[in-house]
Amino acid sequence: MKIDAITKLEKADISGMLVAIILILVAVLALWDTTEMTDADSFVFPRAIAISMISFCILFIVTQMIYPSIEGNDEARVVGGSTTRRIGLVLAMVVSSLLMPWLGFLVSGVLAFGSIMMLAMYDEWTLSRRLLFPFAGIVIVIGFYFMFAELLLVPLPVGTLFE
Amino acid sequence: MIENLLQALTLFHVALALGGVIAGTVIGSLPGLTATMAVAVLVPITFSMPPASALILMGAIYTGAIYGGAYAAILLNTPGTPSAIATTFDGFPMAKRGDGDLAVTLACLASVVGGIVGAVFLLILAPPLADVALAFGPVEYFWLAVFGLTLISALSKGNLLKGLIGACLGLLLSTIGVAEISADVRFTFGSEVLLGGIETVSALIGLYCVPVLIDLVATSDKHLKVTHAPKGFRLIEALQISWTHKFNLIRSSVIGTLVGILPGAGGSIAGLVAYSEARRTSKNSDTFGQGEPEGIQATESANNATVGGGFIPTLVLGIPGTPPDAVILGALLIQGVRTGPSLFAGDGSIVYTFIFGLILATVLMLPTGLVIGRYAYKTIITVPKAMLVPTVSFMTMIGTYSIRNSVSDVVIMVILGVVGWLLNRAGYSPSPIVLGLILGSIAEQGFVQAWTIGSATDNLIGMFFGRPIGMAIILFIAATFFYPMIRGYLIGMRGNPNED
Amino acid sequence: MKIMKLAAITMAAILPVTSAFAGFPEKPVNYVIPFGPGGESDITARHQQSFFKGKFGQDLVISYKPGGGGAVGWSQLNRMKGDGYNIMGINLPHIIVKPKQKNVGFKTEDISGVYMFHYTPDAIVVNKDSPFKSLQDLIDHAKKNPKKTIFSGSGKGTANHLAQVRFDKMADIKTTYVAFKGTGKAVAALLGSQVSAEWGYTSVGAKHSDKVRMLAVAMEKRHPKFPDVPTFKELGYNLVSGAYRGIAVPKSTPEAIRTKLSTMIQEINADPEFQKKMENDGMAMLNVDASEYDAFIKKMTGIYLDAAREGGIIK
Repeated sequence: MKIDAITKLEKADISGMLVAIILILVAVLALWDTTEMTDADSFVFPRAIAISMISFCILFIVTQMIYPSIEGNDEARVVGGSTTRRIGLVLAMVVSSLLMPWLGFLVSGVLAFGSIMMLAMYDEWTLSRRLLFPFAGIVIVIGFYFMFAELLLVPLPVGTLFE
Repeated sequence: MIENLLQALTLFHVALALGGVIAGTVIGSLPGLTATMAVAVLVPITFSMPPASALILMGAIYTGAIYGGAYAAILLNTPGTPSAIATTFDGFPMAKRGDGDLAVTLACLASVVGGIVGAVFLLILAPPLADVALAFGPVEYFWLAVFGLTLISALSKGNLLKGLIGACLGLLLSTIGVAEISADVRFTFGSEVLLGGIETVSALIGLYCVPVLIDLVATSDKHLKVTHAPKGFRLIEALQISWTHKFNLIRSSVIGTLVGILPGAGGSIAGLVAYSEARRTSKNSDTFGQGEPEGIQATESANNATVGGGFIPTLVLGIPGTPPDAVILGALLIQGVRTGPSLFAGDGSIVYTFIFGLILATVLMLPTGLVIGRYAYKTIITVPKAMLVPTVSFMTMIGTYSIRNSVSDVVIMVILGVVGWLLNRAGYSPSPIVLGLILGSIAEQGFVQAWTIGSATDNLIGMFFGRPIGMAIILFIAATFFYPMIRGYLIGMRGNPNED
Repeated sequence: MKIMKLAAITMAAILPVTSAFAGFPEKPVNYVIPFGPGGESDITARHQQSFFKGKFGQDLVISYKPGGGGAVGWSQLNRMKGDGYNIMGINLPHIIVKPKQKNVGFKTEDISGVYMFHYTPDAIVVNKDSPFKSLQDLIDHAKKNPKKTIFSGSGKGTANHLAQVRFDKMADIKTTYVAFKGTGKAVAALLGSQVSAEWGYTSVGAKHSDKVRMLAVAMEKRHPKFPDVPTFKELGYNLVSGAYRGIAVPKSTPEAIRTKLSTMIQEINADPEFQKKMENDGMAMLNVDASEYDAFIKKMTGIYLDAAREGGIIK
């Protein structure tokens, strides 16, 4: 009996169910926030959606309990490769964005570009690459900067450190 | 008319159209740079031009930008504009398996066809079609948004419930910030960062492009598979495919034009509706979403047809069909051009010169689009990974920033990307979330407005289910939603010989 | 470098304040519109743009910071550099009503306006073939069918919405207001007869003159472009309202530059060519300069907050 339950659980879509539980909490949070709204125009739609989301999530969990199965997008579930590099990429993007108001777009852009370049490097750093890649990177960053700031008139942050 | 045609073909106008298309294609291909922005930057330049020339330049940039969005969608899985979402469904799988060049050429052909169909409708049927736009009330917009959402049934392979959950999440995300119509502040939990809500294009970049980057950086595998040496445009192959599916092209172009006429909804919904219809009526509907050329044709022809379609309410009614149209309309107002049916009657020289200019720009898109597309594809497959990943990452950052000049949008974009990546690992694909996010505000506005009018007139049910156009859309929704089940049932009845 | 900078600062301190900024503007001025491109705020800014260069020799560069119905832009106004080269469009009633609803990142007092340069008066707009020939027709209909007279309008807590709330009270009627996203959508709903009338602006009457007519406009005197349309005042309702637009600067902007900007905008406003363009679009001119700004906001705050409370937008 006990073994049965475990094998059943192994077949079930655990991560999918976990997401469903988290989303139920998100929906509850949203519902709680709607209680502060006074205008029906504001709360009718989000309430309807939050309630539907909760029902779909519960329905999903219940079906998984009864007919456990992992179906659909199987390829997407395989996580290969380097997790460190993944996290590094995300950090590089987030940190350089957060530094942008202080360092300005150009400097933080070069920082982001440089660190992501290191993360994405799988070949050997030969001398020519050492010279060429950083140079090309700086040209690309400055080129885009020029295009956005001068041609498209986007007010890119200059950075408070340099004022 | 001939006189207008000749006016459109002056050297100055040809140069404007060519320059506009090239600039537009390049701008559109950069994720985050939208047609609206490209056109807005041009406004001061057009002050010193005659109105018809200004229109030709802005129209050319606009149409080029809509097409340019296909490159990023196909090669990077990043729809530069909401109108190119459905292009990623089949474009990116095609590119992954080594057919990126073919996909880009197909998109170019489809865009030219769509653009011309849209412009021809604008030329001959604008005033009557503008009335169609007015027949669409809040309820019709609501049902149209729901129609867009039915694509979920097609996109969520395996588990429909997960697709529905994803869509709900997207819809809920779309309500964050100051509400469009009730002006209430929702779900910001006191934070200033979320006041402006989640910007749609930055969400698109986050949910589609960041996961690709995350996986790209993790291994040394090539971004796209290269099956053959990149040479030629594969134009003949693309022409053959386009000819085989010419009805798909025409139908999608007409859908694009008609949906494009609807102010505010057109751009984002047209591609989805065309894709959904193409899938429903195709013989190959099972391969949609796995790199089916018909899918690219449907969206790309439809979204370029919305350019002409969107100009119809803009020029006839003075009500902008799409955001770029709003900018163009503003520029015309400053020039002192009054829009209205009179623009098409009597001395219609400005508007007809413009339409011929638009057609010219669309035709010029064929050579320029092929060449730029070729170049984009070659660059993407030859650039070493250590350059490709940082360049694309940097582009997503600068692009996202410049949509609203906001650093927090960039951070939100990355966070959404991580969430999207994690959800995908748990079997929740990003497309339903994106559909919910994009269609959310259209659905909500239509719903709330219809509800208010319906309750004021004590006729809620009649409001939602008793209006002819609304009923027609509901029928299409039912057909699309239940078609896969019915089809599966019929195949089961017949006994599928190919079953393994 | 540092010494040079220091010297420049001392020089500026020694010289009389006015002359330090006498050359203003010496480079392009960045004009932020806290809405997307193509709206009325953008169009009026574009009108100013074409006159700015001619009068002051520098470009007026328009950029957009949309989001939260303007709140995103205004909440960041004071974080911008206060050197006169950063200015932002402001809109009433938005900057008065929004901060009273919830925390939107700025307060009405945080915004240092230098000039209010025009307003687009509210107006009741109906289709050409509407049975409502006069304002009285509409009132009679509304009295007989409470709630069944349906108005479209742009947004909630906006000029349109507050005008509807105020007018309902003045005329002792009950009507339904359906908020649309922007004036364009509200007009489309009217033209398609999804609603019985629109609380719109005089600019709607100007833009769609072939399809609609206005029953009354919320101005002190009749609009020069529409001499046949009565004001609410003439008909016995004291309603003068609309969407007011102006320009603000970051708090840190020196007094001398504020005054200078104020006179510059005034100069554009005084140009007959500019006035003609604005009035042709259905707008009405307004001249509230930097010194009168605070008093003006105070007066409008009283009116708007009463209406907003009435309409249930704020508690």
